[in-house]
Amino acid sequence: MSASDSAGGMPVTFPQYLLLNAERYAGRPAMRFKDLGIWQTWSWAEQRDEVRDFALGLRALGLREGERIAIVGTNRPRLYWAFAAAQSLKAVPVPVYSDAVAEELAFVLANAGVRFAVVEDQEQVDKVRSMAERLPGLEQVIYDEPRGLRDYDHAALRHFADVQHLGREAIAADAAVLESWTEGVRASDGSEVSAILYTSGTTGQSKGVVLTAARSVRAAESTANFDRLTADDEVLAYLPLAWVGDHYLNYAQAYVSGLCMSCPESPETVAENLREVGPSFYFAPPRVFEGLLTSVMIRMEDAGPIKKRLFKHYLAVAKKYGEAVLEGRSVPLRGRIAYALGDLLIYGPLRNILGFSRIRVAYTAGEAIGPDLFSFFRSLGVNLKQLYGQTEAFLYVTCQEDGAVRADTVGPAAPDVEIRLSDSGEVQFRSPGMFTGYYNAEEKSREVLTEDGFIKTGDAGVFDADGHLKIIDRAKDVGKLRNGALFAPKYIENKLKFFPDVKEVVAFGDDRDSVCVFLNIDLTAVGNWAERNNISYASYQELAGLPRVYEMMREHVTQVNRDLAQEPSMAGAQIRRFLVLHKELDADDGEVTRTQKVRRGFVAERYAPLIEALYDGSSEKYVETEVTFEDGRKGLIKATVKIADAETFETAQPVREAAE
Amino acid sequence: MNSPAAHFSLHGRDDGLNPGDVLLDVRNVSLAFGGVKAITDISFDIRKGEIRAIIGPNGAGKTSMLNVINGFYHPQQGTISFRGEARRRMQPHAAAASGIARTFQNVALFKGMSTLDNIMSGRTLKMHRNFFWQLLHVGPARDEEIANRRKVEEIIDFLEIQHIRKTPVGKLPYGLQKRVELGRALAMEPDLLLLDEPMAGMNLEEKEDMSRFILDVNDQFGTTIALIEHDMGVVMDISDRVVVLDYGRKIGDGTPDEVKNNRDVIDAYLGVPH
Amino acid sequence: MDVLYTIFIDPFVQMAEAPDFLLQVVWEGFVAGILYALIALGFVLIYKASGVFNFAQGIMVVFAGLSLVGLHEMGVPALLALIMAIGVMAILAICIEKFVMRPLVGQPDIILLMATIGMTYFLIGLGEFIFGGEPKQMITEELGLPTGSTAFEMDNGGLVILQHIDIAAAVIALIMVGGLAVFFNRTRIGRALRAVADDHTAALSVGISLNQIWAIVWFAAGIVALATGIMWGARSDVSFALEIVALKALPVLILGGFTSIPGAVIGGLIIGIGEKIGEIYWGGLVGGGIESWLAYMIALIFLLFRPQGLFGEKIIERI
Repeated sequence: MSASDSAGGMPVTFPQYLLLNAERYAGRPAMRFKDLGIWQTWSWAEQRDEVRDFALGLRALGLREGERIAIVGTNRPRLYWAFAAAQSLKAVPVPVYSDAVAEELAFVLANAGVRFAVVEDQEQVDKVRSMAERLPGLEQVIYDEPRGLRDYDHAALRHFADVQHLGREAIAADAAVLESWTEGVRASDGSEVSAILYTSGTTGQSKGVVLTAARSVRAAESTANFDRLTADDEVLAYLPLAWVGDHYLNYAQAYVSGLCMSCPESPETVAENLREVGPSFYFAPPRVFEGLLTSVMIRMEDAGPIKKRLFKHYLAVAKKYGEAVLEGRSVPLRGRIAYALGDLLIYGPLRNILGFSRIRVAYTAGEAIGPDLFSFFRSLGVNLKQLYGQTEAFLYVTCQEDGAVRADTVGPAAPDVEIRLSDSGEVQFRSPGMFTGYYNAEEKSREVLTEDGFIKTGDAGVFDADGHLKIIDRAKDVGKLRNGALFAPKYIENKLKFFPDVKEVVAFGDDRDSVCVFLNIDLTAVGNWAERNNISYASYQELAGLPRVYEMMREHVTQVNRDLAQEPSMAGAQIRRFLVLHKELDADDGEVTRTQKVRRGFVAERYAPLIEALYDGSSEKYVETEVTFEDGRKGLIKATVKIADAETFETAQPVREAAE
Repeated sequence: MNSPAAHFSLHGRDDGLNPGDVLLDVRNVSLAFGGVKAITDISFDIRKGEIRAIIGPNGAGKTSMLNVINGFYHPQQGTISFRGEARRRMQPHAAAASGIARTFQNVALFKGMSTLDNIMSGRTLKMHRNFFWQLLHVGPARDEEIANRRKVEEIIDFLEIQHIRKTPVGKLPYGLQKRVELGRALAMEPDLLLLDEPMAGMNLEEKEDMSRFILDVNDQFGTTIALIEHDMGVVMDISDRVVVLDYGRKIGDGTPDEVKNNRDVIDAYLGVPH
Repeated sequence: MDVLYTIFIDPFVQMAEAPDFLLQVVWEGFVAGILYALIALGFVLIYKASGVFNFAQGIMVVFAGLSLVGLHEMGVPALLALIMAIGVMAILAICIEKFVMRPLVGQPDIILLMATIGMTYFLIGLGEFIFGGEPKQMITEELGLPTGSTAFEMDNGGLVILQHIDIAAAVIALIMVGGLAVFFNRTRIGRALRAVADDHTAALSVGISLNQIWAIVWFAAGIVALATGIMWGARSDVSFALEIVALKALPVLILGGFTSIPGAVIGGLIIGIGEKIGEIYWGGLVGGGIESWLAYMIALIFLLFRPQGLFGEKIIERI
């Protein structure tokens, strides 16, 4: 009897898929993890047993249907098993970012009212314990990695393996336990909550997005079909475990398609593990691709002259023919031969180094990706596409189909998703995986849901002629200069961020006379440039303040202004003045979110004196800024930040109307 | 299937000593280079299972003391007993063979070799298969290599340095080199681990990491540790007993609290002239 | 114009016209190169483990060859003499470690170099005292090494003649290089050797005995010297003149890098073949005798462009 029998068709929960996969893909790999330098593999059947033992252990400890269980840590097999184990008991897994500070962690655990927490190691145990009095409902903490925990009081603390042992004892004592667990899994109609994912919102406290089982499964099925994922596919689970992207792309899609998920040895070894695993499906935010490109370029700077020339030559070939070859468009024979040669000499080895040799489908999302950057990877033969998603949607809202890929859009609506634009230009959607509301926050849920059941994304967008969606900014961030010109800060920021030596940009201009920006230089790229030019520097702060660095930035700003001048709707928002910030924007200081999104309002408040200086014409400004070190201590950095003027351009004559 | 967490033990040999018994006894040791006295008539002991700190201002003779213990220097007077056996002259490799491992103030690693090879070199004394087997790389020599590699991987995991397994250590930042060096010493499964300023040149975070590793080594493997350290704060936090040297003489010995309140020690650290 | 013609055109015309002769020259150079490589190998071993430039490697070749032949002359059967010669090299290695290396440990490199120069003269004296100063005939046949030659006929009717002993030399050299590579990379002692080469203090602290390692390296260098002595002796004879030839190893090392075993081999071949071709085709220009200095010229030019040698620096690994 198969899992599909009971529910009358395909599985509607992830544990049902687990049972199904353990039958149809019994001996095929489900999970890999590099431990002590060796890749360990679990088949689907073994994975089912691991999950089952842990689930029964949890039940023996008293976990019941509907109760919440927190999961805190990096990508490790046992933490993923904890998801399925909880779901198999109809309990609700609540993943939390492993780098969340104790306060944030406590907020989520308290808000979700968790009774159990499965955590990675001593570090997380310590965090949870330090917040014990704020978490009266937390009864048991279960850890994966025992190091350093030997002498802890184990009254309310258990090792993962010990919990599994409890589960096996329960089975040994009464074989019916096993049966009842399987029956319980099969009996579900998928209406239960399958996870609560907390958003790391750009403003205010994070909210728990409630996802239900059948909807989540349905969403994952439709995209897995869209990209034709099968049990032969491989992914490397390296994205933050608590992020919807990881939960969807790795966990959910793995369960519905039977693909094999690999967990890296440690967060530091991801690049190496990527090469070893050679995933066929890959996701990374634009900044990861950016980092890869930077590191490739830096390596080529150090290469011998022959290699360098070869690289340059074939990069040009790739630029000319690469994307056409990838999309199967017609390419002249000469181009095909040149590209094939380049593939042999450059692209192939490069893909191999990056761990991209076997990639069939790759996605990027989260923010705009530079057109050059996007084309670079596509021209190397990596099928990189864009998607637009939200936690509330259980990820996919739009995605690009093979062969219909563009750098400046995020594609048409994903399968089974409806999208519309509100009168104010805000993107709204309805999707198969959409949430049922925010946990314990009726009010907020109502704010986001329209009366006819659409979700307001808060993003401003436009459709192009082909029905592809183009996101321009957060709806609430789109503003106007005092002279009435449209000001879309993100649009300007992204244009600047496409320069490899610019890491972060914050633009100001709403309700002001002109546009001014804060810049963060990219320490790797600019540091490398400094090294090549024999410029010494001791810190980020010193490097950022160098006149030659300012000169470089001025060139970038000028270039962006020139571009903006070409676009009639944006030409009024050219950058007048800029400064290079004396510190990197940091999540520990609350300046960016854990997913590296700038908290605009907070930054504006924190650096108010600098903004004032940008607009009052002064040429420099002394500031003191409080910073948080990684260990939680606070310190003060002092700096005199220089402010520079930028060249602006006449608005170009509108040559033709922009496509609607 | 294999569980992700390994069962991990690096205990030294079973020498019949119980925690608290004297492991190393230094008796009236004096050392001079030409006419310059580096150490004068120093006596102290190190007990099994403890973390013993040797502190003192610059030039107090701390490193000389460590070099005497592991056989780099041979004292002119006095005896050193390790596990009850007294010795006068001992070569460093013999000290290593008897269960004493150490790290160095300025990091002495094999810079051209990878992290893995460096830590593997700590297993030198644990590998016995003769060389013809090794040449063939089959049979018992292969099993031995695998068993030792496993131990080394456990250490790599313990010290959280998986990402630099294959990196030549010469390319690593200083803090990581210190960690690799600790790894190599741990690979020897020593009874006594000598650490020469394990936190020198580190930032606060690295110091905290290193302190945690030292405590974990002591706690999990029961390794006896003698360490020299400059940073008084760290020393007082992690050690069980402290010996204070000044100008080659012992001026204090006891628990951190006792030492802190010792008049001579305070004077030495505040620079009161003798 | 004439000068340019004789330098840049004529030699190549000659090569093209008589390929059989060119092949013969290359082969000769190849064999000489192998012997250079073997000598360089001895240097590399000791340099790797102790950072000492062993000036005495040349005399060790002579001494090893003399011991073998001398013992045989005293009536010892050839194979037993060979084993005894190996024993002599072992004793020599232990003595060097005990009486030279150990007392001088920690001294500047230049002192150790001077010590090896001293050792050279000591060994010359010792060799002459025991075995006499006369050149000796290598006991090639008694050792079971092949003699005679094979001639290959070329398409144009020319002949290329290969001495069997040369072929044997090439094979033995290959085996030695392979063996050493495996020894260094695969064995515990090899790892200990590399450790010692890298950092003495650190090696001591993990329980490696420097004395033992040094004795082993010198012994290995002695074995290499013995093989070199036999091969070289078989081609000419065993005499102290060989000691000078051994200095050819210097340009080989400059070319190949002081620490690289493959570098020694390739450097040896380049020098060997280069100087033979130079001598035959260009030597006439300066009245011959080019062979004695061409190697140093090649090395000097090379030094300008790649001071670390062909293999002196680790090639960046592609992962």
